[in-house]
Amino acid sequence: MSDDHNVTVDLRGLVCPEPVIRTKKIFENNLIERVEALVDDEVNVQNLSRLARSIKVGFQTKPDGKYHRVVLERSSGGLQPENIVETQPQTSTIKEERNSTVVLITKNTFGEGDQEFSEHLLNIFLQTMYDSGHRPRSILMANTGVKLMGPNSPFAKVLDDFQKAGCDVLACGLCVEYYGLKEIVPKEQITNMFAICEYLDAAGKVITP
Amino acid sequence: MTESIGNKQLLTVNSRTSGCSAKISAAELNAILSDLPKPICKELIAGITNFEDAAVYKISEELAIVQTIDFFPPILSDPFLFGQVAANNALSDIYAMGAKPIFALNVLSFPTCDYPLDTVKSILKGGLDQMGKAGAILAGGHSIQTPEILYGLAVTGLINPRKVLTNGGARPGDSLLITKPIGTGIALIGLKAESLSAKGQKVLMEVLTTLNDGLLPHLERFPIHAGTDVTGYGLAGHLHEMAKASGLACKLNFSKVPLIPEVSQLANEGLVPAAAYGNRNSFQKWVSFKEGIELAHEDLCFDPQTAGGFLLAVENEKAEECCAALSKTSMTAAIIGSFEEGQAGYVEVYP
Repeated sequence: MSDDHNVTVDLRGLVCPEPVIRTKKIFENNLIERVEALVDDEVNVQNLSRLARSIKVGFQTKPDGKYHRVVLERSSGGLQPENIVETQPQTSTIKEERNSTVVLITKNTFGEGDQEFSEHLLNIFLQTMYDSGHRPRSILMANTGVKLMGPNSPFAKVLDDFQKAGCDVLACGLCVEYYGLKEIVPKEQITNMFAICEYLDAAGKVITP
Repeated sequence: MTESIGNKQLLTVNSRTSGCSAKISAAELNAILSDLPKPICKELIAGITNFEDAAVYKISEELAIVQTIDFFPPILSDPFLFGQVAANNALSDIYAMGAKPIFALNVLSFPTCDYPLDTVKSILKGGLDQMGKAGAILAGGHSIQTPEILYGLAVTGLINPRKVLTNGGARPGDSLLITKPIGTGIALIGLKAESLSAKGQKVLMEVLTTLNDGLLPHLERFPIHAGTDVTGYGLAGHLHEMAKASGLACKLNFSKVPLIPEVSQLANEGLVPAAAYGNRNSFQKWVSFKEGIELAHEDLCFDPQTAGGFLLAVENEKAEECCAALSKTSMTAAIIGSFEEGQAGYVEVYP
């Protein structure tokens, strides 16, 4: 769908910096109000969000199958670049005042017993921890512990609460892959054994329920 | 298939990444290496463990050999210049250990069907030119046919084992020095986008082709406790490696960091190499940006460097004097931060 004011472009397969250059050139025409671009990967999305910020146009993005659809729009209506949370990295990974406790979850149950009951118990444990104001530096999940992840998991809310409170909630990538959860665990929450070792080494205290 | 302009084929056309941007990310490398056995050998005094720039193997109490290998796809369309830069980048790893390079072997993969043989000759001539400047000789090499061009060197150097400069060894209170401006990854993307001015290009070429040998005369004169060269992991990544290996935290004052002209503006416009995002993913857990640091400055901290300058931990009392001396033998020299007691490996970036 292209007309005098709207342009749709397919920038897949182009090597950096080509997608940014082409989009910038399109916007050099003052008549163009809106560019919708299809790009290969997250890097192009990030670079186009920076371009949007510098030329002061709105920016929106959503996944489109294995690709990404990016909309840059001159007039309002688009999300202003200032509001794009995903381009902002975590700015406070180190806070002296933050608790240095790490919660290491290596199975999806609290103790051994009836599976369903033990899972429920683990959820109660995390919820109680959150409600009583404990804010660990990170919650690390490995082995069947990674099954806590995913939007439809009963643990989704409490893990999300912890994350919003500044806690790093991370799952072992190898485990996520092994248990076939790669599609539902967000990329930025996947970590590796190296990082897990670093967290544990730097921890003041490690809690394993 | 190769794109051509007139009769001149563009060297960089098949390169999806460039220079140190072509490195496998630290996070991926850790995942690959974590299961492999680590060598245990008392003669190996620097190696895989602390992500050192080169391996150092002790032959006797007085002598150690230093060995490194480094190669990458074309970052520039001029083959001679590309050869110079690739060789410079490889030689730099030897200097980064405080050693002097003595000889090198070429590492080459080249599609002889797609490009004239003169192109590959020029690449090798560029490499030889740089080795000549370093006083190292070419002793051989290995070449194969591949669809993508790759060039670099395996370099051997010599050092007294007691004088090896490693990532670890920085002491609390040490000043942090740098000897070249930052921003080659972003500037190279800017060059590819034809958005880098003549002035910016001049500084970029100077960074890429200046030898890092300017450190050697000062190693004996000043209390330099640790050092590395800034390459693929970017400023923040290499500072993390130094701080971690030294068991200290690092404070970086971004306003003091020398930059290649225009790189902040280029980063603002989205001309950021993919590997900078890879570095961000690998290292952001260890980096804290204080209020006032712009997104472009963060990108510059993660920007992968090719043939970057040195990062040195120098005793605070002697830092000014060392900086003045280094500025005479290096491209530039600046004090950009310090090492402090704190969580090992953490890098705090102040505006």
